[in-house]
Amino acid sequence: MTTSTTTGTMIEATDVGIRFKRNRSSRRSFKDLFSSRQRRSKPDEFWALRNVSFAVPAGEAVGVVGRNGQGKSTLLKLVAGVILPDEGTVEVKAGTAPLIEITGGFVDDLSVRDNVYLTAGLHGMSKAEIDERFDDITGFADIGNFLDTPYKHLSSGMKVRIAFAVITQLDEPILIVDEVLAVGDRMFREKCYKRIEEMLSQGRTMFFVSHNEKEIRRFCTRGLYLNDHGLALDSDIDSVLARYNIDYGA
Amino acid sequence: MTISAAARPTERIQRSPVGRYRHSLWLLTKRDLHVRYATNALGYVWSILDPLLMAGIYFLVFTVIFHRGGITEEPYIVFLLSGMLPWTWFNGAVSDFTRAYSRDAKLIRSVAIPRTIWINRIVLSKGIEYLFSLPVLAFFVIVTGAQVHWQLALMPLALLIQAVLLIGLGLLVAPLVMFFRDLERVVRLLLRLLFYVSAVLYPATAVPKDFPIFKVFSDLNPLVGLFGIYHSAFFPNDLHWDLVLSSAIGSVIFLIIGWLVYSRTIRSVLKEM
Repeated sequence: MTTSTTTGTMIEATDVGIRFKRNRSSRRSFKDLFSSRQRRSKPDEFWALRNVSFAVPAGEAVGVVGRNGQGKSTLLKLVAGVILPDEGTVEVKAGTAPLIEITGGFVDDLSVRDNVYLTAGLHGMSKAEIDERFDDITGFADIGNFLDTPYKHLSSGMKVRIAFAVITQLDEPILIVDEVLAVGDRMFREKCYKRIEEMLSQGRTMFFVSHNEKEIRRFCTRGLYLNDHGLALDSDIDSVLARYNIDYGA
Repeated sequence: MTISAAARPTERIQRSPVGRYRHSLWLLTKRDLHVRYATNALGYVWSILDPLLMAGIYFLVFTVIFHRGGITEEPYIVFLLSGMLPWTWFNGAVSDFTRAYSRDAKLIRSVAIPRTIWINRIVLSKGIEYLFSLPVLAFFVIVTGAQVHWQLALMPLALLIQAVLLIGLGLLVAPLVMFFRDLERVVRLLLRLLFYVSAVLYPATAVPKDFPIFKVFSDLNPLVGLFGIYHSAFFPNDLHWDLVLSSAIGSVIFLIIGWLVYSRTIRSVLKEM
């Protein structure tokens, strides 16, 4: 089976809820830790998201809109599978290429080359696949002859470029993007935009969080508006942005 | 809505979940070993220097100074090393469990791989380091002319018991440390205590019968039977099947407890990341 045959619904969230502690330093007891996850919320906890349901069909680009602290990044992490919901389910039906903390997997002491193999491998690529794409990755990152330099000696711009290049070469059907485009110089940012557009035109599904209205309009056809820790509106991107602007007058 | 097949030129081999798990586990294990062996000049030497030095110290203290009260195992340096090397695996893995999640927090926040990998890769990489250190033991066996017995064939059993025990302890310790930071210090103290009460430096029979608390603890301690197997390759009298059985059962119990704790706490662990 190849991933290219995947069609239908790609991401399906059903009644998703997740709660966090309001005060991280508050005392925890063993009893607290092991109590059932279905129990009612305690006073020192709050629901970061609750009763969120939506479905994203293959090939759609969805932008998540909302003010700070309304659960945008939390929702993105739930879709990426790096945190787990306390209520409901998030089903992701194909592989994801998460552009979240993209430099996170890179080890300072290893060379750029080793790091590319490690990160791409952790995201599921085999050695042969990485061999095949290695030149594309380093070419896109414009990393020149720093391939055998320890990662820690790269400039911060280079670090982000190589990380972006690795993740976008993953060839997964779902792309998850968390405001990474705020970094890098303008030329590289434009290159990233082009790459994302290219990936979208190849039929990939995208889940996108950004504060930048221009970016959202450029990529997304549909919007999810998060307000008051819930899904306030699920519609086309223009209506969602219009509603957001009415609520918070941007 | 459909995606055109032409849009995706290279066909990817789809791995089964088990295949993907093994792939990620092996990558992270290799990374650990690579960082350890390749980033400093004396990489391999460092990993064996610690147990070697400690064995040298105990040899000096127990044979030269205390004249070994009743412990007649000869050559004693082989007895020491055959216990010290697997102890280094145990000790290194358990101390690393306390940082299993915090050390790779950024990676855990960005890659959705099964969360037990962060524990198992420590067990595996420290286990491989142990295997790499065995030539040192072989060297001392040859130099001292120690006898090798058929019990050497029990090594795979010992490796299995130790791996099961370590995975269980990892599933138990790694998540709990995220909530109780003090546990890191507690673990370090317990490890130091365990070293002296787990028949690493002496045979299990040396535990005095007229010291009931120590005797009962020793019989229940899964490490005692385990180190008995390691010792028995050269000192067959140190193999006690009742202790081996107790060790195997104890390890499985730890695995079960570990799994229960892990599966109930992992949600909260991820929120703490």
